[in-house]
Amino acid sequence: MKRAAIAVVAAVGGFAGVLGFNLGGSRAPLLQGAGASTPPATPPGSSSSASSSSSSSSSSSSSSSSSSASTPPPAGVRSALGNTYQYGYGQLAVRVTLNGSTITRVDTVGLQTAESYSQQLAQQVIPLLRHEVLAAQSAKVNGFSGATYTSEAYIYSLQSALDKLKKK
Amino acid sequence: MTAKPSSAPPRPAGLLTLGPDGSPEPSRGAPSAPRSPAPRPLLVDLAVAAVAVGFGLSVGIALTATSRHQLAAPGGVALFLGNVTGLAGTYLALVMVLLISRIPFVERVLGQDTLLRWHRRLAPWPISLIIAHVIILTIGYAQAARTGILHEIGPLVNGFPDMGIATAGFVLMVAVSIASLYPIRRRIKRENWWGLHLFMYLALALAFAHEIVLGPSFVGHPMTQLVWSVAWAATAGLVLAYRIGLPLVRSVRHGLVVEEIRPEGPGVVTLILRGRHLERLAVSGGQFFEWRFLARGMWWQAHPFSISARPQPPYLRLTVKCVGDFTTALARLPVGTRVALEGPYGTFTAHALHTRKVALIAGGIGVTSVRSLLEDLPKGTRPVVVLRASSEEELVLREEIAELVKWHGGRLHEVVGPRTAQPIEHLAELIGDLRKRDTYVSGSESFVTSVTRLLALLKVPQEAVHADVYAL
Repeated sequence: MKRAAIAVVAAVGGFAGVLGFNLGGSRAPLLQGAGASTPPATPPGSSSSASSSSSSSSSSSSSSSSSSASTPPPAGVRSALGNTYQYGYGQLAVRVTLNGSTITRVDTVGLQTAESYSQQLAQQVIPLLRHEVLAAQSAKVNGFSGATYTSEAYIYSLQSALDKLKKK
Repeated sequence: MTAKPSSAPPRPAGLLTLGPDGSPEPSRGAPSAPRSPAPRPLLVDLAVAAVAVGFGLSVGIALTATSRHQLAAPGGVALFLGNVTGLAGTYLALVMVLLISRIPFVERVLGQDTLLRWHRRLAPWPISLIIAHVIILTIGYAQAARTGILHEIGPLVNGFPDMGIATAGFVLMVAVSIASLYPIRRRIKRENWWGLHLFMYLALALAFAHEIVLGPSFVGHPMTQLVWSVAWAATAGLVLAYRIGLPLVRSVRHGLVVEEIRPEGPGVVTLILRGRHLERLAVSGGQFFEWRFLARGMWWQAHPFSISARPQPPYLRLTVKCVGDFTTALARLPVGTRVALEGPYGTFTAHALHTRKVALIAGGIGVTSVRSLLEDLPKGTRPVVVLRASSEEELVLREEIAELVKWHGGRLHEVVGPRTAQPIEHLAELIGDLRKRDTYVSGSESFVTSVTRLLALLKVPQEAVHADVYAL
């Protein structure tokens, strides 16, 4: 009986210890509400609205001036947000920035995964994908094996963003 | 705790003729073997606290690994619950392994029967939690992927690293657990069940990788990864050290061989073993070893038998009742058969004494541990010994017991006859002042249970009752 009491007290102590450590530490725990591994990116609302209404014109532009103009060689810095793609256990969208017809920036927004492994995988593979895209100057890059779904979602979203900017 | 067994009696002359054919003591005056070290309950309290802290930590890291965003996402709640059940269940599985890892300081305080009872009592929890973990996570991943539960099984097993082997481990774990359910287990031979049970180690090992690679509490958290890995490695190390390493070292060091096999009574034989350095084998009277007789068809199974006398270098003695295939084969072992041993185990020793005086009650073959315990009792314990047997011939070792009791200035009662003619209550009447004594009871499970029940009725304090159950 005495040992049972010791065990209960110690278990509660250990449990409280972890929570206390986390509240004080940098990891954002469940209790605080902030996403432990979700990158700060954009609030979830914006990305989901992007996904729902993506097909039409509205979502895309932040500093865009293009689309309607018929002239083929667009100039200046423009950017567009691609469709949000559901993949495997998560979703993501890609924002692409062009200077003239050169892809200068690719950002991932609204990356959300159901579980940590996919999150980690995405965080590992997205910089590699961005590097590939910047090198190839198009969405025609190879995905990474082991992260097929993540790669596909990235490439699709990128392509949809490029389509909005009328880049081939 | 009061009496020190170091004041045990010198050996009564002419009694312990362990040498072959009753030849005189071969090494009179040689140093006798030391007793098993005294139990230290405080250490066990600390160990219990440490293990319990670990459980709190395991549940804690499951909680802190999940953010509210993840909880709100499709399948989030299920993924969270699956993580909690997985961590808690796996940690309890680690506790199960620790309970049977034969850590000497724990064994000395709690005794193997208590540890096994805890192991059995805990058993339903880890397996239930791990089954829940598998089911809940399958549902959670299906929700996250917006697919059906059965559809999700394939991608879960194939699509994630280390999930294939983890699934194999799970199947193995469930199979072994089913075999351990009492109605099934009692239909399986003990040795076969034991062999099957070993696969639980493999199952836990197979599951380890997926915990570290996929567990939300471990992904991207090198600290928890490290602690979890060290905890499992340390547990594996304890099992290897105390279930394999130490027995191997002891067996090789002492190099025991069967010197002689003596019939003691109907179906009872005494095995006298000869070995080296037995003066360094720390064992208390009343303890037992797991013996392994290295003969064809027998070497792979270990059986517990009490020593029926403290070691008397170069001899060590055990007395065995032939009830099954194995024990019957023991009586026919050729002289010179090598013997490996694991132990000593057991809390049925003079260390357990609370009071000054002692009563010893032995049913049938239970006399063996009482016999060796008598050698260790301190002076002044005035043991009252009750030997219970169904016939005169079954009162094995009675002359030795009589001589030791006489030396101690105690009393010996031999109660012979069928159970119906000799009710248990009669045994208590023979002793009289039971409440002032530490009572040691040994024998078959039914005998020990009925005596301890009687002692409880007679208001003998529980801590003054020490039992040694012989699984026959």
